[in-house]
Amino acid sequence: MRLLTKTTLNLLSISLFIYLFGIIAFYYSLRVQVDSNVNKEMDKRKASIVRQMEEAHSSVAQPPNRNEMVLVTPVERKSSADRYADTLIFNKEEQRYQLYRQLGFHDKVNNQNYFIQIFKSLEETDRLIVRIITTMTVLIVLLIIALLVVNRYSSRLVWGAFYDTVDKINRYDLNAHEDFALQESDVKEFKDLNRGLKAMTARIKNDYLNLKEYTENASHEIQTPLAIINSKLELLLQSGEMSEKQYRALADAYEASIRLSKYNSTLILLAKIENKQFPESKKVSPEAILDNLLENLDDLIRTKKIEVIRKITPDVSLQMNPYLAEMLIVNLVKNAVRHNVKGGKLVLKVDSGFLQISNTGPETALDENLLFKRYFKSSSSPESLGLGLAIVQKICALYGFDVRYQFQEGLHCMTVRFDNKVERV
Amino acid sequence: MKILIIEDEVTLSEAIVEYLDGEGHLCEVAYTYDDAVEKIELYPYDCLVVDINLPGGSGLDLIRLVKKKSITVGIIIVSARNSLDNRIEGLEIGADHYLTKPFHLAELNAHLKSIHRRISFNGSNELVLNEIKLIPDEHRAFVLDQELVLTKKEYELLLFFISNKNKIITKAGLAEHLWGDHMDSADSYDFIYTHIKNLRRELLKKGCMDYIRTIYGLGYKFDVT
Repeated sequence: MRLLTKTTLNLLSISLFIYLFGIIAFYYSLRVQVDSNVNKEMDKRKASIVRQMEEAHSSVAQPPNRNEMVLVTPVERKSSADRYADTLIFNKEEQRYQLYRQLGFHDKVNNQNYFIQIFKSLEETDRLIVRIITTMTVLIVLLIIALLVVNRYSSRLVWGAFYDTVDKINRYDLNAHEDFALQESDVKEFKDLNRGLKAMTARIKNDYLNLKEYTENASHEIQTPLAIINSKLELLLQSGEMSEKQYRALADAYEASIRLSKYNSTLILLAKIENKQFPESKKVSPEAILDNLLENLDDLIRTKKIEVIRKITPDVSLQMNPYLAEMLIVNLVKNAVRHNVKGGKLVLKVDSGFLQISNTGPETALDENLLFKRYFKSSSSPESLGLGLAIVQKICALYGFDVRYQFQEGLHCMTVRFDNKVERV
Repeated sequence: MKILIIEDEVTLSEAIVEYLDGEGHLCEVAYTYDDAVEKIELYPYDCLVVDINLPGGSGLDLIRLVKKKSITVGIIIVSARNSLDNRIEGLEIGADHYLTKPFHLAELNAHLKSIHRRISFNGSNELVLNEIKLIPDEHRAFVLDQELVLTKKEYELLLFFISNKNKIITKAGLAEHLWGDHMDSADSYDFIYTHIKNLRRELLKKGCMDYIRTIYGLGYKFDVT
């Protein structure tokens, strides 16, 4: 729920409650006021009726006016208290009950006790009260509506800077070279928020750039000494007469140095993928990459007598970095060839939505949890780096692909689902 | 062939020079950008080996300069920057090859040989070594004028051997030449062995001398001495 909706609802419910309560209280206070006015009027009438009766020596009072009725009943005993009350009287002309205020009192005129009742219609005052309450209610509803509109509008203005900030945060990209510019606000809280965010992003960006610089420098700084080691060892090899023992020692050193440089460049690659340093993106065709790769690995596949089964839907393309697309597919296929058995199968499936590389191999399933760990090595290839699937997983994570391992019908299947990412040409 | 090595790392330059001198090339060295510009303007070279990160400037700018002055020269970029952008940019502005550090000297040498053949024979060339004849443009190989039946990889292997004749070529160097980054070197050694076995059999069958020697599990040597 948006903050604005929330505050509006709160405001609405509380004010409705208060106004409802207020109107009821108002109605009763009006009622009380009106009743006391009517009572006073009837008191005046009481005096005039008694006077009239004494002067006229009669029990019949003046004919009542339209809003008033007087009922005089002779009684035996006189009771002293006056009684005010509300009562309903049936109006024959209008065929309905009408509300009257009633004053009953006893009086002794010419030695005769009378019980006299004065009835006064409340019809008009009632109508007035209803009109006043209605007018007030309408006014209050209008006031609430106006308040809501004003509140909404002013909130928009006040929170505008905040929503802008949220939007900028969502779209913030460390790789983008633009500054983190936020809309100015004159609200202190938002100013604080923006200041904090700016400081934070500046710090993060700074750290990120340092890290980025470090990976690039590390690549250069480590690869160059390695290049020197390798080339010097290669030169040493050419230098001529050496004993077999020396050659073998040299070979081991050379091999180790080559592996070290491969490790280094692979780790740098992983860091680069993690740092999203492959922003370039274009349409790539998995089929083209597979074709290229199969041609390159043709000899290996033939030597191992691997049967390649292609189930490739034509014209499937992916929107991603071409280098990473190649790395992804190369690593999967490379594993499928490397861990394959002589005379085995390699099944390549590409469809809109997924890429699946399956291969024959050891007859037992691998542990999926260990598989994607860095430096996981199967017993059949102890000399591999163990980073291939880590690269696959990093690339998939970068693009939101889902990569899974399954062992079914004797085939080790690696499935990469692109789903939303796939486009048909 | 006269080659200018533009590389700020002195030890690495020395190693390259030593290896290439042994191949009969004439090598000169420049350690900085300005140094390189001066040398390129003063002397004619057949080939430049350029590092991208140089003190005083970028190797890519150096290549742009050479191309602007229309100097005809082969260019090989040698860089630690294993980024696709640099590779593509380097090749787009006119470099012939791009090698990532650390590289094998034999690989650099093979590329220089191919540039050398292109410059000296204007592309239509034959490569003759004793009874072996290669036509690189057509990917065909002959022994005593009989055509060898070779797979693409076997042909590449033979060309690589001839380019680096009399040198010990490590298995790692061979693997990288044949499959690039696509195979971890350790995996491909078995395949190298198979390819070399096939190549040797084919050469011997057509009456070629057995030049390929195995050096203690370390690598191979195409020995024509």
